[in-house]
Amino acid sequence: MFQIKRGLSLAIPAFLLLAIVGFIPLLIILYWSFWAWDPSTYWIKPDLSFDAYLAIGEVGRWTVLLSTFGKAFFAAILCLLVGYPAAMAIHFVATSRWAFILMALFTIPFFMSYLIRAFSWRLVLGRKGLINNFLVDIGIVDQPIDWLLFSDFAVMVGLVASYLPFVIFPLILSMQRVEPNFIAASQDLGASFLRTLFTIIIPLTKPGIFAGFLFVFVMSSGSSTEVKMLGGAGESMISIMINDVMRVVNFPLAFAISGVTIVLLLGIIIVGNRVFGLTKLFEDV
Amino acid sequence: MTIGFESKIVRSAIWGLTAIALLIIYLPPFYLLAISFNPALQPALPNLSDVSLKWYIELGSERGLLAALKESLLIATVTAAISTITALLAALAYLELGRMRNAWFMLVITPMFVPGVIQGLALSVLLNRAEIVPYWGTVVLGHILWSIPFAFTVILTSLAVVKNNYLLAAADLGATWWQRVVDIIFPLIKPGIAGGIIFSFLLSLNEFSRSSYLVGRQNTLPLTMFGKMNSGATPTIYALSGIIFMFSVLAVGGFMYLQSRQKNLKK
Repeated sequence: MFQIKRGLSLAIPAFLLLAIVGFIPLLIILYWSFWAWDPSTYWIKPDLSFDAYLAIGEVGRWTVLLSTFGKAFFAAILCLLVGYPAAMAIHFVATSRWAFILMALFTIPFFMSYLIRAFSWRLVLGRKGLINNFLVDIGIVDQPIDWLLFSDFAVMVGLVASYLPFVIFPLILSMQRVEPNFIAASQDLGASFLRTLFTIIIPLTKPGIFAGFLFVFVMSSGSSTEVKMLGGAGESMISIMINDVMRVVNFPLAFAISGVTIVLLLGIIIVGNRVFGLTKLFEDV
Repeated sequence: MTIGFESKIVRSAIWGLTAIALLIIYLPPFYLLAISFNPALQPALPNLSDVSLKWYIELGSERGLLAALKESLLIATVTAAISTITALLAALAYLELGRMRNAWFMLVITPMFVPGVIQGLALSVLLNRAEIVPYWGTVVLGHILWSIPFAFTVILTSLAVVKNNYLLAAADLGATWWQRVVDIIFPLIKPGIAGGIIFSFLLSLNEFSRSSYLVGRQNTLPLTMFGKMNSGATPTIYALSGIIFMFSVLAVGGFMYLQSRQKNLKK
């Protein structure tokens, strides 16, 4: 009844669209990253030059790459810590009605404006924001705290808030595969809740943990809104660095940074899929 | 509730941490929403007696924002139509692809992981070389890439209700592929298709980083808003953010509610 041939012809529109608009332009700029700037045409000319890649090695460039991945790593860990209990609430604890309500509440942010959400953190974290007003009112501090906004702290809060839903869904999917009898057996044998959590539930949900981690890591690495809205003056991210390089029309360098980033991120996804079987998580859906 | 989670302490801990997660997501936008009803210029919570729609009414005279809104609505509508149709075909393909399913799934969702700035840059440079002047259509191209993976996942999830047996029975009774799709699959995955439309519309309406490279002379709404947010936000920005926030919550929440009701009716 199912036919590969029919499947392939049905796949044509999506494949062509994604290839022409998405994949091919990315491959072309990867190719162009080896070309050289040509002042006479204000464009680049064919070459086999590694200058752009060497330029990434300059101080200020690779540090941005490193700090972006560092922030993304930290955001992913924080999202897991905050998201894991929420996923447990939805899958293990809530009645079906509440599970539905919580699922809806965690779905909505996927489709809410990242810009508005980051902007609204400004109002909460600012000198005259919600938190500072509260702290001053109850007398914990005399002066508003300055490091809440336009700082690494604010960026981290913004990233976690933005990408939290991305860990919750893989976690729930992996929890659905945990045999409830294992938990019951563990309890019957006298294990405490924490012991059951660390020896049964967490090991069995590893695929969801890795998938959630990868999603947040990859999305945060490519983000720019949160840093633009909440970061300090000197703070940068890969995406912002690319914008800056494009402003001085250094095409090969912008392409090289893009190339390195894409290869790294997609590489991580592909390896992650091989090792942890990300697609398996979605097989039942 | 699963066995093993009866302890009151465990449950309160889990619920408490869940509340924190929800607070992180919802506190700021709700605070912004509350501020938008404060007629004062300084952002602060309004007193109940002061609550006013002043900034919402003033929005009507913000020509720049309205023009951007119109542009964004046009882009989002076209993006939703193209993305949903393409994603639907991609999901029907997934059904047929047997062992190639996983590879196909990964391929279709890949654009979700490509940073928006890089995707926008790549596409815009190419369009520029092809001497295509940016206009709303070029923004649509970028947005399609962002919304297809989501629309595809939503439709794929809804395909789970289509049991293989239904299709087998129909095939045994002589139904062609087209009849199976129109008479069995479509009616069952209607909610998924509606979800695909709503979600791609919202993703496009709110998209920022791809648009900034692909936009023509008329900015999209998020780009215009970004400019205003950074040049000393006037309170009308709060009102507009409030409207978009409420619209997104109602659209997604309403969709999920209707979908759950339909599921309950079937039981």
